[in-house]
Amino acid sequence: MRRSIAAGGLFAAGSLMPVSSTPANQAAGQSTTHTQAETRVPATVVDGKVVQPRRELSVLQKTSILVVGGGPAGTAAAFSAKRLGVDVTLVERYGYLGGLASGGLVLGIFPLYDRDKKQVIFGIGEELMKKLDVLKFGIIDRNKAPVYPTIDAEAFKYVLADMLLDSGITAYLDCWGVDAIVDAKGAVKGAVFESKSGRQAILADIVIDASGDGDIYAAAGAAFEKVKTNIGLISRIGNIDEIDMAVGRGSEDSEHPATGKPGEGRPSKGRVNDLNGHAGNSTPAPHVNWLNMKGPVGDALDVADLTAMELKHRRGTWGNVEKLRQKPGNEQVYLAETAPQLGVRLSRLLDGVKKLTVQDIRSGAKFKDVIGYSGAYANAPEFQIPYGSLVPSKVENVLAAGRCISADFEVADITRLIPVCWVTGQAAGLAAALCIQDKCKPRNVSVTKLQNLLKQQGAYLG
Amino acid sequence: MTFLRRIPRRLIQLTCFVGAVVLVWPVLPWAIAPRVFVQASPFVALSSSIATRSISLGLVFAVIVAVASSFKKRWFCLYLCPTGFLLENASHMGLRKSRWWSKCPPVGRYVAILTLVGAVAGYPVLLWMDPLCIFSSPFAVNKATNPISVILVCLGLGVLVAGTLVFGMLWCVRICPLSGMQDMLFALRKALWNKLKTSVAPQKFGVARRVFFAGAGGALLAVWARRLGAARFRKSDTLLRPPGAVPEDRFAGLCIRCNNCVHACPSKIIRPDTGHEAGLAGFGAPIIRYESDYKYCLETCNACTQVCPTGALTPLDLQQKNKYIIGEALVDNNLCLTALGKKECDACEHSCPYDAVKITWDEEQYIAYPVVNDKCTGCGACEVVCPTTPVRAIRVWTQKPS
Repeated sequence: MRRSIAAGGLFAAGSLMPVSSTPANQAAGQSTTHTQAETRVPATVVDGKVVQPRRELSVLQKTSILVVGGGPAGTAAAFSAKRLGVDVTLVERYGYLGGLASGGLVLGIFPLYDRDKKQVIFGIGEELMKKLDVLKFGIIDRNKAPVYPTIDAEAFKYVLADMLLDSGITAYLDCWGVDAIVDAKGAVKGAVFESKSGRQAILADIVIDASGDGDIYAAAGAAFEKVKTNIGLISRIGNIDEIDMAVGRGSEDSEHPATGKPGEGRPSKGRVNDLNGHAGNSTPAPHVNWLNMKGPVGDALDVADLTAMELKHRRGTWGNVEKLRQKPGNEQVYLAETAPQLGVRLSRLLDGVKKLTVQDIRSGAKFKDVIGYSGAYANAPEFQIPYGSLVPSKVENVLAAGRCISADFEVADITRLIPVCWVTGQAAGLAAALCIQDKCKPRNVSVTKLQNLLKQQGAYLG
Repeated sequence: MTFLRRIPRRLIQLTCFVGAVVLVWPVLPWAIAPRVFVQASPFVALSSSIATRSISLGLVFAVIVAVASSFKKRWFCLYLCPTGFLLENASHMGLRKSRWWSKCPPVGRYVAILTLVGAVAGYPVLLWMDPLCIFSSPFAVNKATNPISVILVCLGLGVLVAGTLVFGMLWCVRICPLSGMQDMLFALRKALWNKLKTSVAPQKFGVARRVFFAGAGGALLAVWARRLGAARFRKSDTLLRPPGAVPEDRFAGLCIRCNNCVHACPSKIIRPDTGHEAGLAGFGAPIIRYESDYKYCLETCNACTQVCPTGALTPLDLQQKNKYIIGEALVDNNLCLTALGKKECDACEHSCPYDAVKITWDEEQYIAYPVVNDKCTGCGACEVVCPTTPVRAIRVWTQKPS
């Protein structure tokens, strides 16, 4: 192995043994007899109702900071907190890190820039992009404002795994956070997980909910707003070289395909013209474009909706690629992959100490507890994000990070984007570490200290 | 003695000149001041009232000026006209100070007749030659977003000043339709006066003939411009007039190119046309272009409709203006980032002040794209935020009956 594993580092999922001692030392085909040491009673039917018996959960881990979710926000939180020497545990539902930025194929890193094309998001996100920079086919269009960088999903998974293995963070993958653990006063004490190892508990002083859907704070009883919006499924298409070259690398330049001249002729009203534009955006991988999908409106917290989307989107994407192949020059285009994760945009939005509203961003509100910026996005200018939008209004010991922070729908539609999740994740991680160091609650964290720490870690606060 | 007698006139002229600048600038917190200023010309007030078949505020003042100048020859020119004041001073510095132009025919009278007859046909042909209109135009220069617009708004007054420096007072005395109109009023009053006193000598045949030809010319020009000038505008699919504009076949004639609307627009989206959009008949008339960054026809503004002196732009209150259809937004899906799966973009939907654009999921095509509904006024909010370059995927086009 190229890298040495830090003691107490990554654990194989479902096992308490460190990674270094598991796969290599076990012979394949070895069978062990299950001794039924733990008595597990399945759910039973009582009076026609399915009942799960009350039972004690094994405690998998005791930690200072528990980060639920290994996407952009969760990884940023874990890395930044661990750097302050605090004990950090990270739990991720899928088998890789990066969340929607890797598994969701949201490869475009926007919004990074303000109206004047100046980059306003740095910190952990900038570090990650720098690491991608040195990789071949890792990232394109860096520092080419207003064109946004595009990353490669596999390169990003590699960078995160590499950093995590070296970080000393305890991580559990393929492990789904399903419930909160609260004390008698309702303060969060950890979270419950479901994995191949069964239902287990992780106890923690502070929990960072970077699950995207706010699963943990919702389970803990924090107030939230539930929203429904479009759910899509991103895909990558290959052999799309020619088209890609015509449009330029991920730029927003547009050439009309029919005439070769820019946008000639009056579009017809109320009719969809025959779509023969340059589908998708180029990625670091040669001859490969990523193809975004808006998708219909759905409930991201409803398994029936999610299932329908997973199936229909894959059928629809295949059909669209077939249509694409009918255009001259596109005969060899193929569907490289559909994203492993659905493109869920928003589900739960926290009721935080401060709810970031569209009025705030229109009026260019300045916050004393600013923890970072979002770049300008479409007609919204760059705006400040306050620490208050990460802190639940009532429940203690939990912080939100990523797309499920406290913002109204229109703002959340921007704060859900990848680089902004890095910003809120890093701030949540440092705030949690401060809670441990200063022995205080998240709502009482010294904003000055937090801002100083953020600046030390290279974040941009204006 | 002559010198002393002139002082009061100079003082009045100077006061009027300063007053004109104050009105047009406008320094006053009186939004319609530029309109009132141009309407102070009886030529404009009369012609536009005839052409629009309506009574405007300016008519009151116009009647006073008309009566006064029928008793004191060219009273308006001598005391009130700021353009006259400017040109008179220019002529003192100019090359020719002789009265060589006295041999020239009184073109201004025929221009006035021609325009008034045209106004009866709904198309006051040469109303843009009015001196107050020409004086008002260069004040729009601070809202000009390109060099061509700067040249266009300064063209009228620039030509007059340059012409006066070279040829002396030719314009004021012989060409200006407002002075020609005053001359006619004076002559008319005199003729009536004499008729009351004595039996009048029959007018010279030559004059009557010229008047007839000028009138006939005005009628013909008006008909020609309304038919052919109107036909030419169809060559452009992107001709957008400011809110409140009367139908295109009358707009180019009613608009006198005073550029008050250009001056009034806080978004700087109105500019004089080079003739590219609406042909020769539309040269210099205002068009809308959504080009500058994030500037569109604001839902909080109706300034341009308040300053038009001729009614080419009907005065609209804010509510009416927000219902006025400037054009229609149309989407080219082959440029749209969302339709092509390029970007997570809904800029047009979010920018629309009227909820007229919705990114809509098409289950058949399995793509999403912006759909524009009937609430669209063509304000351009979506066009200016659309991120595609060089051509925007959503653009405002001249409205066509569907």
